[in-house]
Amino acid sequence: MSWAVEICDLNVWYGGNHVLKNISLKIPKNVIFAIMGPSGCGKSTLLRAMNRLLELNPTAKVSGQVMVDGINIYSDKIDVTWVRRQFGMVFQIPNPFPHLSIYDNVAIGPKLNGLAKSKSELDQLVRWALEKAYLWDEVKDDLRRPAAALSGGQQQRLCIARAIALKPRIILMDEPTANLDPVAAMRIEELMLELKEDYTIVIVTHNPQQAARVSDYVAFLYLGELVEVGETSQVFTRPINKLTEKYVVGRIG
Amino acid sequence: MSFRKIKERIMLGLIAILALLSAVPIFAIIFSVYFEGMKYVSLSFLIDLPPPPIGDEVGGIGPALAGSLILIALALAIGGTIGFFTGLFLSEFSHTKLAQQTQMILQIMVEFPTIIVGLFAYAVLVLPLKRFNALAGAFALAIVIIPYIALNVKEAYKSISFTLKEAAFSLGLSAPTAYLRVLLGAAKSGVLTALLIGMAKAAGETAPLLFTILGSTFTYFAGLDQPIHAIPLLIYNFALSPYERWHQVAWGASAVLLTIILTIFLVSRMIIRGART
Repeated sequence: MSWAVEICDLNVWYGGNHVLKNISLKIPKNVIFAIMGPSGCGKSTLLRAMNRLLELNPTAKVSGQVMVDGINIYSDKIDVTWVRRQFGMVFQIPNPFPHLSIYDNVAIGPKLNGLAKSKSELDQLVRWALEKAYLWDEVKDDLRRPAAALSGGQQQRLCIARAIALKPRIILMDEPTANLDPVAAMRIEELMLELKEDYTIVIVTHNPQQAARVSDYVAFLYLGELVEVGETSQVFTRPINKLTEKYVVGRIG
Repeated sequence: MSFRKIKERIMLGLIAILALLSAVPIFAIIFSVYFEGMKYVSLSFLIDLPPPPIGDEVGGIGPALAGSLILIALALAIGGTIGFFTGLFLSEFSHTKLAQQTQMILQIMVEFPTIIVGLFAYAVLVLPLKRFNALAGAFALAIVIIPYIALNVKEAYKSISFTLKEAAFSLGLSAPTAYLRVLLGAAKSGVLTALLIGMAKAAGETAPLLFTILGSTFTYFAGLDQPIHAIPLLIYNFALSPYERWHQVAWGASAVLLTIILTIFLVSRMIIRGART
C-alpha cells in the first residue's frame, strides 16, 4: 500500500511545552482520515506539522519525520513553500481574504504560484475549483463581490475552493464545521465525501460523531499522545484502548 | 438635593468645562490662521514668486509650495520605504531581540528634538557638498517620519488576524509574497494611515529644514543638490522679517499649510472609518 503521509516519531514543543509525543501513523491515499480528541490534545498542531505551517509560531520546535510520497518534508533540502503547496488547508474559522473578491480569493494562490499561464486558464481554474466546492452556482453571477459578503457556510466552501485551486495532493481541514450551522456543516461533510475521490483528506475534529460519520480512518489523540489509530468502524465498535472507548461514548472530552 | 449630589454636579461641570477648554486652543489657532491668512490666498498666490518686501505687488508662495511638495514626496519615498519595512519587521519578528531593540530606538526617535536631526543632516549632506540642498532636507524629514511610519505599520500588520496569516502562508507563498501581495491588502487602511501621518509630519516640520535647504525664494526647483524652499521655512523667515507685506504672505502660507495638514488628517480619518465599516 502506498501512503499519502507517513509520520514517524514526531515530537513538537512550544517553548518548553511538549505538545506532541512520539507520534507515528500512516495515512492511506484517497481516504478521509480523522484526527479526534478533546480540546488541547494537539490535533491542530499535528495537522500544522504536516504542512509545516507550525513554523509560523516562532516558539515551535519539531523532531521526527513526516513523509509525503516518500519525501521527508523536514529534510534541509526541502523548500517549505513546496511542502505547503502539496497541501490545501481549510481552517476552523472561515477565513477568506476579506479585502479580495470571491474570484480573487480562489485565483490568488494559483496566480502567485504561477499555476495558470493565461487569464483564460486562470478563469477556468477558478471556475473548476468553485464547481468542485459546490459554490459556483451560487456565486457565478457576482464573482467580483467581496468574499466577506458571503454567508459563513459559503465562505467555508470558498476556502475549500481556494485550497483545491492549488491542485494539492492532500487537503487538511481543521475543524471545518465548528463555526457553521448544522445545515452548512452537513453540506461541507457531503463535499468532503465527494472530494475523497481525488484527494486525501485529513480532518481534525473534536466531535466523535463527525469522525464516525465521514471518516474511513481515525486517530485518537489524548494529551499529546496517540492513543489509538485504525479503521473508523473498528475504532468505534471495538476500540482496543479503554481511553478510546470512554471518548467515543462521550465519557471524556 | 443632598450635599453629596451637589458636590458631584459641581465636579462633573468642572470636568466638562476643562474638557471644552482643552479644545479651545486648536479652534482658536484654526480660526485665527484662516481669518488672517485666507484673504491673501488665491490661485496666483499658490503659483507666484514672493513679493519684494516693500511695494504693492501681491506675490505668492509658489517656490515654497513646490519645494514642500517635492520634499514631502522625497521624504516619503525614503522614509516611507524604510519605515514600512521596519514596521513589517517589528510586527512579524517581534519575538527577536533585534526587533525589541529597534522598537525601543524608534520610540526614542519619536521624542527626539528634530532640530538635532537637521543638524545631523547638515553634517552628513550639507558640509560635504558645501551647499544647502534639497536632498539634505528630504533626508532630515525622512529620519523624522521613519519612527511614525514604522510604529504605525507595525500596528497595521499586527491587527491582521493570525488565521488570515495562516491562510496566506498555507498557499505555499514565500514570506515576501505573502506579506506584500496578500496580507498588505488586509493591512491597507492602517498602512495608508501610517503614510499619511508621515506625510503630515513632513509637511509641517520646520526645524529639520533650518540647517539643510536654505530656502531658495526665487526658484521652484533647481536640482536635488541645490537649495529649495518649503512653506514652514517661508513662514519662519517671513514672520520674523520687519516687513508688513511679508507678514501677510506668512499668514497666507500658514493658511495653505494648515489646509494641507487638515486635508491629510481628514483623509486618514475617512480611511480609518471606511475600514471599520
